[in-house]
Amino acid sequence: MPSVEIPLEKWTGQVHQVTLGAGGRKTVTVGGENTLPYLHFDGTIPNKTAVAIEIQDIAPADWSPTLLKAWGDVVNDPATWAKKAVEYGAEAILLNLKSAHPDEGNTGIAEAKAVTDKILSAVDVPLIVIGTGVADKDNEILPAVSEAARGQRIAIGNCEEKNYRTVVAVCIADGHIAIPSSPVDLNLAKQLNILLTDAGLPIDAILMDPTTGALGYGLEYTYSVMERLRMAGLGGDKLTAMPIINNVGEDAWKQKEAKVAQGLPESWGDMETRGIIWEEQTAISLMQAGSNLVVLRHPQSVAKVGAAITKLMG
Amino acid sequence: MALTGVQIYKFLPKTNCKECGFPTCLSFAMKLAQRATELGACPYVSDEAKSNLEAASRPPVRLVTVGVGEKKIEVGNEVVLFRHEKTFVHPAGLVLRVKDSDADAVAKAKEAAAYSVERVGINMYLDGIAIENDSKDAAKFAKLAADVKAATDVALILMSSDTAAMKAALEKVGEDKPLIYAATADNADAMIELAKKYSCPLAVYGNGLQEVADLTEQAAKAGVEDLVIDPATRGYADSLDALTQIRRLAIKKSFVALGYPVITFPGEGAESIDDEAMLAGMHIAKYASIIVLDNFSPAVAYPLLTARLNIYTDPQKPIQMAAGVYPLGDPKADSVLCVTTNFSLTYFSIAGELENSGYPSHLLVCDTEGLSVLTAWAAGKFDAEKIAKAVKEFKLPDTLSHKKIILPGGVAVLKGDLEDELPDWEILVGPREAMAIGSYLKQNWS
Amino acid sequence: MSKFIATQAITGAHQTIEKADKMYKEALAKHGPDAVIEFKDSRGGPTAFHVPLIYGYTGIIIEKLGDLEKPLELAKSLLPPTPSEHLWVPYLGETLDSGVATLYAEEIIKSIEFVNGTQPEVKGDFTYNGPIDDSQMRGWGIQLVDGRMPGFAAILGCAKSNEVAVKIVRECQSKGLLVFLAGNNNGRSVVDQLREEGVEMGYDTFIVPFGSDTEAIVYALGFATRAALSFGGVDAGDYRRILLYNKFRCFAFALVLGDMGPVDWATGAGAITFGFPAICDTQVPNILPTGVTRYEHVVSMPFDDIPGKDDMERAEKLVDKCVEVRGIKVKIAKVAIPNSFGPAFEGEVVRRANLQAEYGSKAGPAVEMLEMHDINDIEDGKFEVIGPDLDDLKEGDKTYMAIKVDVAGRKMQKDFEPVLERQIHHFVNGAEGVQHQGQRDITWIRISKGAFEKGFRLKHLGDILHANLHNQFGAIVDKVQVTVITDEKKVAEFLEHAKEVYAERDLRLAGITDDSVDTFYSCALCQSFAPTHICVINPERTGLCGAYSWLDCRAAYEINPTGPNQPVPKGKLISQEAGEWEGVNQFVLENSQRAIDRFTLYSVMDAPCTTCGCCECIMMIIPEANGFMVVSRDDYSETPCGLKFTTAMSDVGGGAQNPGMMGHGKRYVTSDKFISAEGGIKRLVWLSKNIKEELAEELKEAAIAAGDPDLIDKIADGTTATTSDELMAFLEEKGHPALTMDPII
Repeated sequence: MPSVEIPLEKWTGQVHQVTLGAGGRKTVTVGGENTLPYLHFDGTIPNKTAVAIEIQDIAPADWSPTLLKAWGDVVNDPATWAKKAVEYGAEAILLNLKSAHPDEGNTGIAEAKAVTDKILSAVDVPLIVIGTGVADKDNEILPAVSEAARGQRIAIGNCEEKNYRTVVAVCIADGHIAIPSSPVDLNLAKQLNILLTDAGLPIDAILMDPTTGALGYGLEYTYSVMERLRMAGLGGDKLTAMPIINNVGEDAWKQKEAKVAQGLPESWGDMETRGIIWEEQTAISLMQAGSNLVVLRHPQSVAKVGAAITKLMG
Repeated sequence: MALTGVQIYKFLPKTNCKECGFPTCLSFAMKLAQRATELGACPYVSDEAKSNLEAASRPPVRLVTVGVGEKKIEVGNEVVLFRHEKTFVHPAGLVLRVKDSDADAVAKAKEAAAYSVERVGINMYLDGIAIENDSKDAAKFAKLAADVKAATDVALILMSSDTAAMKAALEKVGEDKPLIYAATADNADAMIELAKKYSCPLAVYGNGLQEVADLTEQAAKAGVEDLVIDPATRGYADSLDALTQIRRLAIKKSFVALGYPVITFPGEGAESIDDEAMLAGMHIAKYASIIVLDNFSPAVAYPLLTARLNIYTDPQKPIQMAAGVYPLGDPKADSVLCVTTNFSLTYFSIAGELENSGYPSHLLVCDTEGLSVLTAWAAGKFDAEKIAKAVKEFKLPDTLSHKKIILPGGVAVLKGDLEDELPDWEILVGPREAMAIGSYLKQNWS
Repeated sequence: MSKFIATQAITGAHQTIEKADKMYKEALAKHGPDAVIEFKDSRGGPTAFHVPLIYGYTGIIIEKLGDLEKPLELAKSLLPPTPSEHLWVPYLGETLDSGVATLYAEEIIKSIEFVNGTQPEVKGDFTYNGPIDDSQMRGWGIQLVDGRMPGFAAILGCAKSNEVAVKIVRECQSKGLLVFLAGNNNGRSVVDQLREEGVEMGYDTFIVPFGSDTEAIVYALGFATRAALSFGGVDAGDYRRILLYNKFRCFAFALVLGDMGPVDWATGAGAITFGFPAICDTQVPNILPTGVTRYEHVVSMPFDDIPGKDDMERAEKLVDKCVEVRGIKVKIAKVAIPNSFGPAFEGEVVRRANLQAEYGSKAGPAVEMLEMHDINDIEDGKFEVIGPDLDDLKEGDKTYMAIKVDVAGRKMQKDFEPVLERQIHHFVNGAEGVQHQGQRDITWIRISKGAFEKGFRLKHLGDILHANLHNQFGAIVDKVQVTVITDEKKVAEFLEHAKEVYAERDLRLAGITDDSVDTFYSCALCQSFAPTHICVINPERTGLCGAYSWLDCRAAYEINPTGPNQPVPKGKLISQEAGEWEGVNQFVLENSQRAIDRFTLYSVMDAPCTTCGCCECIMMIIPEANGFMVVSRDDYSETPCGLKFTTAMSDVGGGAQNPGMMGHGKRYVTSDKFISAEGGIKRLVWLSKNIKEELAEELKEAAIAAGDPDLIDKIADGTTATTSDELMAFLEEKGHPALTMDPII
């Protein structure tokens, strides 16, 4: 009879451990595992995938009706929204500074600082703040956000090759975590990590965003790049071993499948269910590729994905 | 150590007879080296070669077929642990379970089997119906099997631990080569006999991998090699462990006794429909070959089929969109016209941004053999001539009230050439990144 | 190291420490050890970094007068004895120690002045700023370290005249530099000069007057220290990292105007430890590069000896020199031409109906060439037009032109000339209404009526090239000067010169061989879809896509050191014939996700290079012919191995090593190193027709070099053999050498 002996995969490296939250806030620690996702038999997994909820500094104009229905009036006030999100199980809040985008209102330093202050006092979970993606604008507002949250170890993003110096400088100065974002490419992700650490950012102050492609919209590219990053990191390359953050909600809910109510084929089924499943499927798939922090938008997905994570921890 | 194509070639007849289906012995050898074909395809291979090429002669995960005809399920033949290494070859079969204790079973089976949905030109559907002998009544089981066979055209799985019931059902539907589920330590001899008699694939169910391996060995010895295995894990953590370990043993250790496709039942480990879908999603990503669901609705099936499509896409052969004009946000004759390539990711990026831009648009997709904008341009597959041809082929001059077309910013160099090809058109150069198209339209489209 | 400077600096250090010591004792007697020390600027803005330079350098926290005891003792302990008149062993380290001791002492002096109530300094009705407070430090510091501000200029002393002072400050500002002011010459200083000329000073105008004495310049170094502590994540006391951080990220320099005393020298020595060089407008010894600063440490530019038509031009050149010595890269935000500029115009065609003027093509020669020069021979931003401009031509005129681009750069190399020259096409095409085609002496430029009407003139070609070369190649280019020649005779002269240069270049390129270099380069661009694939590019084998030569990769690496092209040290030779080196193998292992552990660069049978999927050609073994075939991407015909190019690609692509098959660039066929392990070009039995035609000359040479001048005629192609049988018949008939060579398998 053939005797089954499980071949174990012993990696030499491990994912860096990153802790969000300090200065009296609750903390959330991600990373630290020395195995591929949730393979407890191969190694140790000290921290589970964390779940954050995304809120915006202005009531979203382009969100799916499914989301707006789920959240109701709270979207009109970021602080109330944040509190509600924590009630729904958010372990961290991702604040999207939507209103600062030149096309969305172009608000400035004062507004960015004010809303950061507001969220920080409204909730005690860690905060993640994402800028507009317009480098010049972010260089203007993110230093103010950083200063407002000094010592509270928030995560600040996104930084790319063209604006990483600013984000890194303020993260170092104020004790925060930077989120480098690269366009679904292992080498570019690594290159950015090199630039960040060369600029003096400690290796445990980086959460990397490989760019999230939702289910049906590039999921497979994100999946494979993450899997490769993780394998490179576990293989001993410290500059690819950063924990990974995936802004799942943003990309999943932007798609027609999650957003459009009318004029669709019957075979797509009920819109509300479909949208939520779309977000959940994106999350569970990317968790299999190494996601350490998933950002979601719908309260139901937060509950269900959270429950799945608990079960994966065994 | 795997053999290289040239090493394998040395053992082949070197006659270039082409009977294996490849043009030369060398090209056959190259495919064998990639474990993409079997040594048996060569009619003239010597015994000496066979013994030398043992490792190359059997794919690590056996190819198993369930059902017959167009909608049969083919699973197995996987050669890698990670999709980026090469590709996952045979997409996992998604199957709905109905029970013979349920009066609506046939209707449910019929609805599920009739379901199909299209994505990027690919028609996706559920692959089968699993019929469970929940009533413990052999006649009811056999009748439901016959009724489902009559009502659907998909592959079947017969689920019963009672060999008499199984036999009764096989008498009705055995010719359709359903998967017999399952041989266990208690009934293995009888089930193996049935599988043999009806030439059907057989699932083996064992508690733990060792029990599964013992059963597959027993079946293989008895001549039943078309096996599917169920390691009896039902939750998230335990099923992930088992699926990973089975695939790892097969690929890295060439462990023959577990070199078979795996069947899972996410519904049995789930608390809700969402939960079942997520567990199924995890099984799609991590090595399940047949996934039996307990709930069907289009709103769940569509995302799952999409997840499968994504994971099983060949990373070196990107999904291509069909060339054509895609309407985004109900465009009119005077709406925006953009042009791009048929690489699916390129299409989705720009289509998504256009849909969210507030500008209803026509998106003209050119056939660039699945290459992205810059790659296609560099390879000469996205040039002015091609764009002009597509503009005419899809009758844009007739359907639009304007003659303005927006080029991707990355190929601004095509502007002049395109002016030559489309002399009465205004050629606009859009932004380099899809993300910027909204802002661009605000400033430039009137 | 100059003895003069060392002596001056050490003497200055002694003087400053004595002064600090004396002031400390007096203050202690008067105020007691518990008197509070707080650095504040003139508006009361504080700092949380205590007495910052001492805090950063030593980790000592100074809050009270008595806390100064320790740094004072430290300063004294660093002091070397004053060099004797007769015996001196020049040693840089001791001078630098003196400098650091001086900075401590200066900060101690300022601390005591705060206790005494004399800081920030008030002189008549003018209040100096004193140190920069934390809030302003943060605002500026972020911009300094993220590159939005290029650096700061610490200006000491007094300029030749008020006009020169204003000009120097304005020049610094125009380059985006912060200006810090301190010190005096016989009681007069730049601050006084600016006041007299009505120039506003303060945070808002980016001009900060620290104080009237030399010691006050220590505030600039305190500012730099705090930037490193804040934004560099450096711990107080870790002086080494503070200094390195400033050397590499804070582009500051000292500009010393007027005669220098020992304290100036001592302070300058301290600044050098930060990597900040000093440029003096008087006659002093130069200190050449030794590594403490990026380039020179001290540069002397006696003001009246600076070439220039007047003092204004001399002032400008003085600041240019500062910028160059500190290695400050100036970004040009906008290409200053009257028409639009951007990549969106690259595809524009200027048609006959819209043609204002045409240069080159049938109208006569148009030539462009880029050459490097010594940095002192080039004036950055100088554009000259020799001959008639567009206004002198009639609409639709066709004529000749030469574009002479002269560049200089600390990191520029002769070999990069063609790499940069090829960019001229790309840059010029970016201008709206300007079309550029060709290169070298087959350039062809058309300018549209629209561009002309908007004000485009030939000078603007200079603006375009200057701005783009700086912005995109700033890593290797520091100065760009452009001359556009339209004078017939001068164009002809330049053309002759250019032809010589081209010939020289081609010869030199041919001379760069695998054996003559010790570093190859990698390319990881394709790992996005072929994760385990890595290209190793050597001089005699371009990248398999044909797009990247060894030289291109080398330039790309200089420009972007963390980019996809990395140096691959060859390391120890393992096999000359197969082209295998230890260094290459090591690199490949580390960069292929550990999937591949050996690469031979000249063999296709043993550990051949992998292929991403972009290759121009695929080589495949034909066992029955005892040789290899090469099929090109542009060849759609059937081939004797039974696989067309696209089918073969599915076997060879994706980054797996596949002995017997390999992707490569088309020019590799003519390389001396072409599969030398297997016997070279004599193994080639089939070659795509289009390559035979395109590379006919080179192939002929390669055949001669291989000792078989008629070889090419013995190689089959798609017109003579598309099956194995046809191939064998052809080879037999022609007597191809591969048939009688040693068996490959």
